[in-house]
Amino acid sequence: MEKQIAMPKLREEMTKGVLCAWLKEEGETVEAGEPLYEIETDKVVNQIEATERGVLKRQLLEEGDEAAPGAPVAILETE
Amino acid sequence: MITFINQSADPYYNLAFEEYIFRTVREEDVFLVWQNSPCVVAGSGQNLCREVRPALLRRLGIPMLRRVSGGGTVYHDLGNVNYSLITAQEGPTDYEKSLAPIVAALNRTGVPASRRGVCDLAVGEKKISGSAQRSADGRLLHHGTLLFETDLDMLERITSRGKNAFVRSKGTPSAVSAVTNIQPHLARDMTLEDFKTRLLAELVPAEKDRLTLTEAQEAEVRRLRDEKYHSWEWTWGKTPGFTFDREGVFAGEHFRARYQARRGVLSDGEIVSPVIDGEQAAALLGGARLDPEVFAEICRTLAGDRAEELLELLL
Repeated sequence: MEKQIAMPKLREEMTKGVLCAWLKEEGETVEAGEPLYEIETDKVVNQIEATERGVLKRQLLEEGDEAAPGAPVAILETE
Repeated sequence: MITFINQSADPYYNLAFEEYIFRTVREEDVFLVWQNSPCVVAGSGQNLCREVRPALLRRLGIPMLRRVSGGGTVYHDLGNVNYSLITAQEGPTDYEKSLAPIVAALNRTGVPASRRGVCDLAVGEKKISGSAQRSADGRLLHHGTLLFETDLDMLERITSRGKNAFVRSKGTPSAVSAVTNIQPHLARDMTLEDFKTRLLAELVPAEKDRLTLTEAQEAEVRRLRDEKYHSWEWTWGKTPGFTFDREGVFAGEHFRARYQARRGVLSDGEIVSPVIDGEQAAALLGGARLDPEVFAEICRTLAGDRAEELLELLL
């Protein structure tokens, strides 16, 4: 099943985040709890973990792209 | 609060030292005080080619590094003191929680600093400290600079006036701030060594909490230094995609250079100049790594004695 991963809202005032690093490439398997990507907001780099196991099907943002909380970041193929 | 004493002034080693402590100390709060010899350190998601002039820094012999936290590009020298505060990450990120003990310690040390904006510290209207954070695996790294007696002319030359207007890029831009040194604002005169000692004593008062790395831990730090902080992949390969387009004068003639870079690799390179072989330039730039030394070699091939002049136009 395909699931969309959305940009998290890390703090009340957060209006956008910059995707600053992918920690998995497309096609790689990620375990629940394993780091998947990093976003920067207000000079804080936050490592974001996958919440379930799956294959990273598509990265919807490139490193350096900016997006609002709730915007799609990736598509995960879960079992 | 514990500390690990680090006397090194090597910026590559020091960034590895901090990251190693951040990753491996899981329970205790840690406070570090450390210093780098002259260098430029960019935020995790930044484009160094936009934030500074790599050709200028190469000429000055100042290394360029990338750190693991967010924020902008900073200049360090031995007049600047860095600190790191590593704690458990509880709740949403909050600079106040990290900065409050630092401001209190500075005030007790005789530095009239106060918080300004999200994460800067200032004396009066001028910034003395910038900070940034990284949150991962339940731990929070907060670190910052403290301008004590930094060469502010060099700082401004490199980070404020050294912006590269020819680069159009994604990624986090740096803010430019009016800065001052701490030293002239002290109530009582203090050397930089005294300042470091007192700052550490404020946050880690007990001698028993001042630790040093074991030989095995040192080896791990050196491995991280070599595999990550010295690597092209980390420093340049992580550069957000960008386009470069510059017109100017080379060897007294009109000059234009354009290229694109993605994941640190060039494409669509073009140099238009009556004194440079355009076909050779396109061939050399295509697929080249974004790396000041690679660029320098290309410039030697294309321009011989005028290589330095060409490099300053290209990067």
